[in-house]
Amino acid sequence: MAKVKDYGNAELEEKLRDTAYYADDANPQFLEDVKKISRTAANMCFQCGTCTGSCPSAPRSSYRIRLFMRKGVLGLEKEALYDPDLWLCTTCYSCTDRCPRDLAPTDVIMAMRNLAFKIDIVPRNFLKTVQLIYTTGHGVPNNDVNRAAREKLGLPADPPTTHSHPEFIPGIQKIMDFYKMKENADRILAEGEQ
Amino acid sequence: MRQYAFFLGCIAPNRYPGCEAAAIKTSAKLGIELLPLEGAGCCPAPGAFGAIDLKVWYALAARNLVLAEQMNMDITLICNGCYKSIWEVNHILKHNDELRDGVNEVLAEVDMEFKGSIDVWHLIELYYDEKICGVDKVRASVTHPLTGTRIAPHYGCHLLKPKKERHFGDTENPMWFEELIDALGAESVQYRNKMQCCGAGGGVRGYDLTHSLDITNEKLLNIQEVGADALTEFCPFCQLQYDRGQVEIEEKFGQTYNLPVLHYNELLGLAQGMTPQELALDLHAVDCKPFLEKIL
Repeated sequence: MAKVKDYGNAELEEKLRDTAYYADDANPQFLEDVKKISRTAANMCFQCGTCTGSCPSAPRSSYRIRLFMRKGVLGLEKEALYDPDLWLCTTCYSCTDRCPRDLAPTDVIMAMRNLAFKIDIVPRNFLKTVQLIYTTGHGVPNNDVNRAAREKLGLPADPPTTHSHPEFIPGIQKIMDFYKMKENADRILAEGEQ
Repeated sequence: MRQYAFFLGCIAPNRYPGCEAAAIKTSAKLGIELLPLEGAGCCPAPGAFGAIDLKVWYALAARNLVLAEQMNMDITLICNGCYKSIWEVNHILKHNDELRDGVNEVLAEVDMEFKGSIDVWHLIELYYDEKICGVDKVRASVTHPLTGTRIAPHYGCHLLKPKKERHFGDTENPMWFEELIDALGAESVQYRNKMQCCGAGGGVRGYDLTHSLDITNEKLLNIQEVGADALTEFCPFCQLQYDRGQVEIEEKFGQTYNLPVLHYNELLGLAQGMTPQELALDLHAVDCKPFLEKIL
């Protein structure tokens, strides 16, 4: 499973090259933002490592959730948000169930991903899900093979969801537009293709 | 007959329609009537979507909840991922005024309001609940027992975890799903690291497929070690990961398991006499025939 970690983006790689810590790099507001979005007291982490020990992603990658917890406490915003490992959490919540301080490291990762998206750092597959939900209402839409199979089962070719009721899709689009989510996803995807 | 609004999600209706058909037919025999939740959409996917912006996740899940509130009916669903979105957002918005006000501000744009008037249940917890159905009733509904089969349980993550926000008790070694499997006449088997994740969640399947499959591969190895005829779960996304994942694992890692993967509702359907055709088992990537030959 060993592999080189990179985003395939020369400019970003350059930013990431210097990994020494300086006090100037710390942004105390980062911890406050993480706490607010994650709704967990991330500052209470005492770095025991139970989270990393419980993590199914840890044995097969350089992803260490304890490291992200520490970076949160130290306010190392860029260190945390620029790391491609941020997206290797399967959100299984094993760490959250075992945390002796009763924290939710999983939700800390989710909060950091939310903050990364705000500065346009997000893997493409996440944005594609956004586009699919925007156009069809479903993250995994129907297809012809499945329509035929559904009819054989005596089910309607399209399920009674937005697939049979496209009149509900504008409502979904309004909600997503309220947060400019589709707009941002389209822009980030287009910039990536240049 | 208890009535529930049936929230379908995406993968069950659009990839494994047998799960949907089975859920409706098998539940009817257990006194649970599933009514369509017209106009529902994606829950939306907690890992892939919530990871980008939790506020939109709250609002879109709330839209689905409001549709059921308008029917004045509790929601039931058959997917752990949907459970995380729909149950958890319902729970959070009922108890967090600040977030609820924020969501209602958005929902007002589409003439909706989250009231918090209904509850959300996973179908599997209704089956296990003595007050609603219970293991004995499930056992009594079996006409074609799965005698002689060894079946590995997979609980998945988002129904039970995080345990402090849920109501399912122990998440290190729960045994209630095994009772439901044994009730079908099959023998449930225990294997190493039973509670490990399937590897699909959190957007990892889309972000790094090899990494995601490596987690799945570890689970499959542990199941192979104890010799099971099939794997069962109550989450279509886990099902997709194990079922199509076995094909991908064969391509990427050269390991073959041929382990049929069935949703609990599909198993229950077989045990209640539904045919493989009525369950669209031919849509599964891994051939279910070796398992079917043992029971038919």
